[in-house]
Amino acid sequence: MMRLFGRFAPYVVKTLWRHRARTLLTVGGAAVAMFVFCFVGSVQEGLRRLTADEDAQRTLIVFQENRFCPTSSRLPLDYVGRIQKLPGVADVMPVQVWTNNCRASLDIVVFNGAPPRQLRQARDLTLIAGNWSEFETRRDAAIVGRNVAQRRRLVPGSQFSIGEMSVKVAGVFSSSVPAEENVIYTSLDFLQYGRGQDFIGIATQLEVKPTEGTDPNELARRIDEALKSGPVATTTRSKGAFQTSTLSDLVDLIDFAHWLGYACLALVLSLVATTTVMSVQDRIQEHAVLQTLGLRPSRIFRLVVAESMLVCTIGGLCGTAVALAALGLGGMAIGAEGVTIAFRPSMQLALLGCVISLGVGIVAGVFPAIQASRTPIVTALRQG
Amino acid sequence: MALVEIRNLTKSFRKGDEVITPLEGVDLDVESGDFISMMGPSGTGKSTLLNMVSGIDRPDSGAITVDGVEITKLSRGKLADWRAANLGYIFQTHNLVPVLTAYENVELPSLLLPISAAERCKRVELALEAVGLSDRADHYPRQLSGGQEQRVGIARAIVAHPTVVVADEPTGSLDAATSVQIQVLLKRLNRELGITMLMVTHDPNVAAIATRRLYLDRGQIVETRSDELVGQV
Repeated sequence: MMRLFGRFAPYVVKTLWRHRARTLLTVGGAAVAMFVFCFVGSVQEGLRRLTADEDAQRTLIVFQENRFCPTSSRLPLDYVGRIQKLPGVADVMPVQVWTNNCRASLDIVVFNGAPPRQLRQARDLTLIAGNWSEFETRRDAAIVGRNVAQRRRLVPGSQFSIGEMSVKVAGVFSSSVPAEENVIYTSLDFLQYGRGQDFIGIATQLEVKPTEGTDPNELARRIDEALKSGPVATTTRSKGAFQTSTLSDLVDLIDFAHWLGYACLALVLSLVATTTVMSVQDRIQEHAVLQTLGLRPSRIFRLVVAESMLVCTIGGLCGTAVALAALGLGGMAIGAEGVTIAFRPSMQLALLGCVISLGVGIVAGVFPAIQASRTPIVTALRQG
Repeated sequence: MALVEIRNLTKSFRKGDEVITPLEGVDLDVESGDFISMMGPSGTGKSTLLNMVSGIDRPDSGAITVDGVEITKLSRGKLADWRAANLGYIFQTHNLVPVLTAYENVELPSLLLPISAAERCKRVELALEAVGLSDRADHYPRQLSGGQEQRVGIARAIVAHPTVVVADEPTGSLDAATSVQIQVLLKRLNRELGITMLMVTHDPNVAAIATRRLYLDRGQIVETRSDELVGQV
């Protein structure tokens, strides 16, 4: 069957090229729609990876009670020792967070200050440029996530200043957690002193790693219970729940955006189907001639579906490829309250774009193909 | 046994409240190598009969048997396969596929046959040579004259070595000089290659090139001599 289709491939391609303006416009429309679909998909995937991965479920975040913006959460560092004494706690890492913008922004810069040695153990970071030793030894050194480096054109040795913060880039890192690549890490001391006297001895949040077999939710309850008597009451949640709560407004928007993704698919479907219907209606007589020559109605059906599939797949693949390239090169992220969602390309997204383009192309061609294959030959020949 | 046997063929159409029956109980035998022309007033069912022999239309009753196969009993798909292997159709308006070259247009029917690429190529070249268009193989229909287009249509009709070739007013859209060229070509194909032909025409001069001339009137076929045919028209 494929061999037979191959023999008719020049006919399919030349037919599409006959109305090249119409074909190219349809390919363009499909490409734009798939571009938007992939963008929406990457945001959703970024959110899912941020909130649903294993680390996000196992790690606990201790934050000041009833506070959301990192500038307003102030936990005394002696809480680290108190939490470490609780059974089921493997490690506690204090993190000072500073962001240039607490509201939702596409160019958020987030500084996380943490003890460098502890950071290296707690995070899955791979330096792709620069070196750790400079980061660990130099007071104002920072390692910069790949996305931030891309956006701000930072390389090891650069001096980066924003607001009251000024750091020397010691390295650029990548991470298995895409959101991490939007963060700039400094030492805890630097960030505390950099922000002024009021922040010395203070952390924005504490990251707690439970030991194997410990129920994170139960541990969170015990942490809040133990710190209730301290100077600042706390709310402890899993990292995923904390991030979802922090990004709640954005989460609602992103949830809504998936309808935008479906709308894009509907757009491609109707666009390709309309073009194919127009093409079929222009060629009712031609299809009758082909049937007179001996092409079965089922073969006419397949030829029309092939046209639709080809247009949609070319458009879809172009849109997907451009979207993935833009996502890869742009290093884009959206964030709020110091938490970011990375827009990253992925193999899964590429595969989804290809499969959807192919599938939508086939579905879009079915109705016109039925129309082309079912028209009585004599009636169609008389229409010429 | 005749190559084409038409028995008791009836076909009716509904036009508003009126039922028109252009063919009623028609019988006809076509022998291998025959060149038959069919004439008659408009609406007498010439093209309808041709379409049913071609397997692109179905009778209300009766049977058509071609080379031992009763085509009136075949399904749509089987009928398409039968057409691919046994039928060559020459249209009045050429009906070439505009995006394909003359070579590709002629090649189309042979793509459906179980033959090798080399054999296909040979057949296409021979068909184009037979109609005198070897030097126009790479031309698109828009680059050909009306007569050349019709010759490509004829090459397309004979490329699969069909059992029977039907022609629906093959000179109907051509000027007088080109019409004569096509008539000569059709006659030559029938004589030299022994192709069985069934042709519908309104032109008695074109009908005269056939070896058998039929006249259709009030649903019936009458076989005539050439001079009678001219007189009737």
